[in-house]
Amino acid sequence: TETGQTQLLRYVAVDDCGVVMNPMIVDGQVHGGVAFGIAEALYEEVLYDESGNLVTGTMTQYLVPSAAEMPSFELDRTVTPSPTNPLGVKGIGEAGTIAAPPAVINAVVDAVSHLGVTEIGKPATPERVWKAIRDARGGAA
Amino acid sequence: MIPAPFEYRRVDSVDEAIQALSEGTDAKLLAGGHSLLPLMKLRLARPSLLVDISRLQDLKYVKEDGDRVAIGALTRHHDVANSEVLQELCPIVSYAAGEIGDPQVRHVGTIGGSVAHADPASDMPTVLVALGAEMQVRGPGGVRNVGAGDFFKGLFEPDLASNEVLTEIRVPKTAGRGWSYLKFHRRAQDWALVGVAALAQNGAGPSVALTNMADRPLRAAGVEEALAGGADPATASERAAEGTRPPTDAFASAEYRGELVKVLVRRALEEAQAR
Repeated sequence: TETGQTQLLRYVAVDDCGVVMNPMIVDGQVHGGVAFGIAEALYEEVLYDESGNLVTGTMTQYLVPSAAEMPSFELDRTVTPSPTNPLGVKGIGEAGTIAAPPAVINAVVDAVSHLGVTEIGKPATPERVWKAIRDARGGAA
Repeated sequence: MIPAPFEYRRVDSVDEAIQALSEGTDAKLLAGGHSLLPLMKLRLARPSLLVDISRLQDLKYVKEDGDRVAIGALTRHHDVANSEVLQELCPIVSYAAGEIGDPQVRHVGTIGGSVAHADPASDMPTVLVALGAEMQVRGPGGVRNVGAGDFFKGLFEPDLASNEVLTEIRVPKTAGRGWSYLKFHRRAQDWALVGVAALAQNGAGPSVALTNMADRPLRAAGVEEALAGGADPATASERAAEGTRPPTDAFASAEYRGELVKVLVRRALEEAQAR
């Protein structure tokens, strides 16, 4: 709460998916989706300067996190076969990406809600979190 | 993007390197390349000649030298980080080397290259300023020594003529002195948003240096003065932003950096005092 830095401690994902053809691939797809959902919530941001020039034009400024920034994901699933095809399969690649940003942002807000914070913009960079805390305190850092 | 056209020459000795650098005004040394090549690919640097010194074995060493430890300029960050000599005699240097970039960068990048690049956001220059380290520079006129406090003159501006080669970095032995290097960054491989190197009190007084708070590594003079006057870390760290000119960039605003540095200085001082 002093620096606004967010550290993800645990991430649990339970997906209702179709028939599982290859469990390892299903897990891998969820991992990838969650990782990019976390990236959207905490890291990735497109910034322009006052003249409209793209500031975040390289991979050093447009932040795509890696495994080093992620906790180990805890996964589980329920299986509801799809009625629309003979195999009962569904897609799984986007599931993680859809759920992760709101889950992470809500978790960040929850973590500092005791300081009076009710919302934080996306991505919840350290500076954004720090500013939200400061503003909730009425301007005092 | 790809670099602008350039010539390439590998040399077998420092003297050959000096000679090659003296041939024009536009030649640059190539060691690990991890500072220079990205700049060339963005065409922010366009040397007409690259002088490759990366295989000069006689500039790769870490050895005791009286009350100092001498590090050859071409020693890779990985070897600096894993040097038992440094881990025992000057651990803040080996620790900071392990914080640089990522494993791929650490296996190729060199301490001399990082120092000569003089990026205020780099970790090693800050640590060397906090230590009062000494750089050895060789040029056509001979050898000279420069203190770290004087070596970093400005943004990417080291005290190095275009035909000089940084050959050695000498750091004091710090056995017994508490230390801390805190690097605040968002991703593991990112540069420091703000970094703090702190060395606890010894005969020369506490020293605190800051990464990425100006166009060069800065001693936090206000903090050092407060500490010398007996202030505790929390009080002294309130002065951390004095004299700093932090940048506003894609990663953070100057305002946030100015507040973040106080938190980091306090934490670094507490860690250094506890060691």
